Amino acid sequence: MFFVTYLRRELRRRMRQAVFIALGLALGVGLVVTVAAASAGVKKAQSGVLGALYGVGTDVTVTGAPPKSQAPTAGGGGGVTGLKNEAGKSFDTLTSSYSGISASKVAEVARLHGVAEAAGGIALQVTSITFPKNFGSPGSSSLPQPSSFTLDGVDTGHPSLGPLSTASLTSGHSFTAADADANVAVVDSGYATSNSLKAGSVLTIDKIKFTVIGIVRQAQASSPPDVYVPLARAQDMSLQSGSLKSDVNTIYAAASSAAGISAVSKEISTLLPHATVTTAASLASEVTGSLSSAAKLAGDLGKWLSVLVLIAAFAVACLLTMSAVARRVAEFGTLKAIGWRTRRIVAQVLGESVAMGIAGAAAGVGLGFAGAAIITKVAPKLSATVGGNTGAQASAAGGAKPAPPASAPGGGGHLALIGGSGAHTVSVPLHPSVTVGVIVLAVVLAVAGGLLAGSFGSWRIARLRPADALSRVA
Amino acid sequence: MYKLTGVTKLYQKGRRTVTAVAGLDLVIEDGEWLAVQGRTGHGKSTLLNLLGGLDRPTEGTIELDGTNLGALRETQLTRLRAEKIGFIFQTFNLIPTLSAAENVEAALIPLGVSGAGRRAKIAAALDAVGLADRAGHLPTELSGGQQQRVAIARALVKEPKVVLADEPTGNLDEDTRDDIIALLEDLWRERGLTLVLITHDTSLARRAQRVGVMNKGRLTIHQATGSAAAPMPKPSATPPSG
Repeated sequence: MFFVTYLRRELRRRMRQAVFIALGLALGVGLVVTVAAASAGVKKAQSGVLGALYGVGTDVTVTGAPPKSQAPTAGGGGGVTGLKNEAGKSFDTLTSSYSGISASKVAEVARLHGVAEAAGGIALQVTSITFPKNFGSPGSSSLPQPSSFTLDGVDTGHPSLGPLSTASLTSGHSFTAADADANVAVVDSGYATSNSLKAGSVLTIDKIKFTVIGIVRQAQASSPPDVYVPLARAQDMSLQSGSLKSDVNTIYAAASSAAGISAVSKEISTLLPHATVTTAASLASEVTGSLSSAAKLAGDLGKWLSVLVLIAAFAVACLLTMSAVARRVAEFGTLKAIGWRTRRIVAQVLGESVAMGIAGAAAGVGLGFAGAAIITKVAPKLSATVGGNTGAQASAAGGAKPAPPASAPGGGGHLALIGGSGAHTVSVPLHPSVTVGVIVLAVVLAVAGGLLAGSFGSWRIARLRPADALSRVA
Repeated sequence: MYKLTGVTKLYQKGRRTVTAVAGLDLVIEDGEWLAVQGRTGHGKSTLLNLLGGLDRPTEGTIELDGTNLGALRETQLTRLRAEKIGFIFQTFNLIPTLSAAENVEAALIPLGVSGAGRRAKIAAALDAVGLADRAGHLPTELSGGQQQRVAIARALVKEPKVVLADEPTGNLDEDTRDDIIALLEDLWRERGLTLVLITHDTSLARRAQRVGVMNKGRLTIHQATGSAAAPMPKPSATPPSG
């Protein structure tokens, strides 16, 4: 009790100095909390983007080699030779940004050392065009505008891999293993809303009627596939560049351990030398845009600024504590004279410093929360761009919507639509999050600052000879 | 009983070696009141520090009840100070943030006295110096004389064998000085303390049983004739040689 009374009274006597030290520590800690929160927010946004592109639980994505340049010639599905004769008809053109990989390779990938699970998938771009009934007659409108959506063939036996694994169900139900050969579809909520689809609706793709069994929602930051169908149904579809029967164009693999991802990636590259193998790490390195800049800002400038402010706060705390000890030399000398052991006096000084550290920690966490709230309030939405002819592009196609078709129906009466394969940009809101870990870090840092300052003071006290201390009494 | 044998204390002041105490032989009997006078810088405070175990002699031995203080480890010396020696300083040296009672309590902390026993001792000590009604006052709320009374209570609360006082009336006005002198004398008589008192005040020194004069580190003992002169213990100090 005496310890607490003495500590409290001493801090009260040096109130201004104590507040100054605590505020200094609070500023440093607050900055650390804010930067850590922003950094966590950026990481969360990044993982949101990557997870959406990639699928939670998927460690490695393998895509077939990019196809050779597709000339705007007759498409698959309903190839058209005389536009005038197509009045009143609808056509779906399906394209793949990747060459096919034999489905048997999925099992081979699954058997590789370090691979826990593997699943095949097919990512397609579907472009639809509907010619009005009066198309071609005098006074009719010009060529109708095509619409496009993305379609994902899902291995219903491995629901934990691929883009659908990140989705949350909003109505109906998702695929079961029994749906492997069924004409059923799961639709993204955004696509469902814009096309007035709901569970039970019927959706026609490539002249096949699919019953919508569920509506799902993906992360806000992602551009998910619009429609999911069982893999076998996607394999049955006719592509502009040929059939993917018995093929997949994407393989999703989960490694047995995070440490083994790199080795698994290499093994798959050896097994499938022409395929593009992408890991979350390689994908992350391909992300550009303001999200990437924010990550760099938080990681570099923020970190070093925090370190500098903390060092300054620690230095000020140390100097002020040393100065306080210097002013109290006679007091400590007296305590030594009346029989106080050095460690008891040191404990008293350390207690005062730790109390200031705790006050600094509390204020710092408050400042950190305020900083995070300000960032949330004022920070513009970040953009993440994944693109180029790289592995990142491969993943983008796995779950993101490629650029819209570059060309309209081609000449010569042939409908030719080219699936996009360019850069993919998503807009990500930045939500700094102050985690328990960050709060603990803040408290530890502030208390450490207090302890450091107290240690300097204690060092001086330990060296103090009582006779010298008492001789300094005015 | 203190027994000092050939005690010398040298200080290094730059390149110069200063002799603060030179070859001092002295015996201070239990219950004796020894006053030490002398000009500033002639070793009075150094002698008091040596007696209190706050400093160690460069040469010679200082024994308190047969224990050689110079041979004790710092923790043992600290313990000895906590148990046996009370200090009274010219500038009172009270902790400014603590009340009178808490300042007195500070002396009991190293002894581990706790609870009701501690409170009773504090109350008795403050009562003995006439400050029972000022227990909750901070030093700044007390006069100089009252502050010195608190310092005396702090020195006596642990019931020490020895009290070492360094100019206890040096910062007090004449009336207060007389009060403090009377208080010290009463406590010395009542409690059978060994009192070593450093003072410039000749009237105060004369009340001691013996008076020593420090001159350039050497102590010369004189017989006192004041109120405390009887009963006089056997003089046992010898002037320092050469």
